Parts: sequence; structure tokens; C-alpha cells
Amino acid sequence: MGLLNFTREPVPEAVSADMHNLNQLSAQQFSALTEVLFRFLTEPKEVERFLTQLTDFATMNKISLGPLKNIVKSILLVPNGALKRNLSSEQVRADFIALGLSEEKASYFAEQWKVNSPTLTRLAVGQTLMINQLIDMEWKFGVTAGSSELEKVGSIFLQLKLVVKKGSQLENVYVELTLPQFYSFLHEMERVKTSLESFS
Amino acid sequence: MAALRDGDFAALQILLKAPSKDAVRQLCQECFSSPPAALGPLAQRACPGLAVSAEEAEQLVSALHNLTRHVVYRGLTGAEDILRLFPENFHQNLKNLLTKIILENISAWRNEAQASQISLPRLVDMDWRVDIKTSSDSIVRMAVPTCLLQLKIQEDAALCGNNPVVSALTVELSKETLDTMLEGLGRIRDQLSAVANK
Repeated sequence: MGLLNFTREPVPEAVSADMHNLNQLSAQQFSALTEVLFRFLTEPKEVERFLTQLTDFATMNKISLGPLKNIVKSILLVPNGALKRNLSSEQVRADFIALGLSEEKASYFAEQWKVNSPTLTRLAVGQTLMINQLIDMEWKFGVTAGSSELEKVGSIFLQLKLVVKKGSQLENVYVELTLPQFYSFLHEMERVKTSLESFS
Repeated sequence: MAALRDGDFAALQILLKAPSKDAVRQLCQECFSSPPAALGPLAQRACPGLAVSAEEAEQLVSALHNLTRHVVYRGLTGAEDILRLFPENFHQNLKNLLTKIILENISAWRNEAQASQISLPRLVDMDWRVDIKTSSDSIVRMAVPTCLLQLKIQEDAALCGNNPVVSALTVELSKETLDTMLEGLGRIRDQLSAVANK
């Protein structure tokens, strides 16, 4: 096997056999299986659904679930590696062929890869580490009418509640701003936006 | 908030024993700024300067505190309003001096009262930085800009006394989050303008 694009490590031996088994599927069966796989890749949290769909596929096509799961494990190696390395669909196709998949099936899978890669890339970026991610912001503003020290005040206050994700927990942070501080904050945030846009 | 009591004006006349007008001025400022709990020690410090008993010093300090705070509370700004507070038989010169001192300080005192108002933790400073993420364990090569925002937040001044606790919170915002936040801030600005223009 030549150099693969999706990984630098040696591929498990079982993969060749799995690809051989895949080649035995009809075009229609391969297409149905590919659809199940991509649905899982674009919604990785739906593990239950994925397993149900695999079981259904196994039953409908009279394949044992165990071997099917192994085949699926082998197939998934490629898109997972391809996502990490921003591979093009040609590279994905070449890798499947190098692993032993038929040209027809490799091209089909690569085509589906091309269609789904924007969604998959966005998902991967979304999974990238974020420190104290700001999840939500709530606000209220009002007028201080009076206090124990000042009978009549009439000053405007702004209160923000920031919901921050610290590790796996959410933390609420409450802050109060005066009016000049608010305008200054708004101004700075607009500058940040300009900066972020110039790098996008 | 301290209310004026009957004995207060009698106690104020102790100021006639003060060594100078500046001493009176100084004492007025200290009495206003001091929280009720710290008036005792303040009275002890004032004692020697005034050549009065500890008890008299306490009464004086308490009276001055009440008077200055009362004026600030009511928002009195005119000399007439302040003069009116004093009883008929109060020492004329002392009355004028106290009124003058109060008028000199009223603005600063009002600001001080407002600054030490109870509130949620206050924003005292804000810094930001834009980073470009170039690589991660989920994608080996990317160019995703992200914003780090550091907010310096001070706990309620009243709870901390003279040592306010300032904590720094660093938050990360993606471009999408920032856009949503700006939308919210824009709405606040619009509502503020609407209120201001009424």
C-alpha cells in the first residue's frame, strides 16, 4: 500500500478484508450505507439512531451486524482522518482505492464527502477548544430613583448577566455598568467585530 | 442614612472650641465620609484637637455626620435651604461657616454617595484580544479568528470596605457570539436613545 493521505500511521490489517466485503455490496446497498454513515457524521450525537439504522440495514440486506460494525469502523477511519487534514475529495477517493475499494464505490463516497464537507468542517471547528466560552448574555437597564444616601438620584444603570461555560459547567456572572461604560463597551466590541471580519 | 436629631445642633456648638476654620472643614469632611461604625475611632482622634471630653467628641462627630449626610440625602443645594435647618438660637458665625463648608463640598459628597451606592459587581476595566486559531486536535489546519475579552469586575464596595476585591474574568467569543452580542447591545443603545429623547 502506498502513502495514504488520511493517516500517517499503519492501517489495521482488517481494513483490506473489510474493503473486499464492501465491494460485494450492490451500488444501491453501498449508497444506502453511505447515507447512514454521513447522517451520523453530520450529527455525531445521534448514536442510538445510528445503531438502529445500522441494525435495520443489516436485517434488510441479510448481513450479520457484527461484521457490518467492523466494516463501518474501517470505513469511518477515512472521513475522520480526512476531516482532520482538510483533504480534498480526490484525495479521499485515492485513499479508498489504495485501501482496496472499487473505483466506482470510491468515487461515489468521495462525491458524498464533497457535498458534506462544509457541514463537517463547521462541526469540527465548533468542537475546537474554547476557554470560558460566552454562551449567553441577558441584560436589563433602569433608573435608580433613590437610595438610603440620596433621596433623589435619577441615574441610569445597566446590568448584564453573562453565562459562561467553565469546563462542563455553566456559570453566571453579573456586572453593572454606568452609561459611559456601556457606550465605551459597545464601541470596543464594534472594534473587535471589525478586527474579526478583517481576518475572516 | 442618618436623620437629624434634637441634640445634634446643641452638640455642633462644640465646634466653637475648634482651633481654626480649617480644622472644622477637615472634621466635616471626615465625618461625612466615615461610615457610622467608624465614628467612634474618629471621635477619639478628634478629642485632643478640640480639648473636650470623649463623650462630647462622640456627640459632635455623630451630629456632624448626621448633618452632612442629611444635606446630601435631601439634595439641598442652596445656602438658604441649609441655613433653614439650623434652630433660631444657633451661633450665627458658626452657622454661616458650616453652611459655607457644606456648600463647598456638596458636589463631591454627592458623587461619593453615588459611587458607594449598593450595586451588583461593577465593571472597572475591559481589555480584548483577537487570536487566529491555526490548528487543533480536531482540525490540523485552519484559520479561525476568535476574540478573548477580559473584564475586570469589582465586588460591591460596601462589602469590601477599603480593600475592594477586583476579579478578572476572561471570556472567549466566536464571531457568531460576538454578532449576537452586538445585536443585543445595539438594541440597548436604541432603547436608551428612545428614553433620552422623550
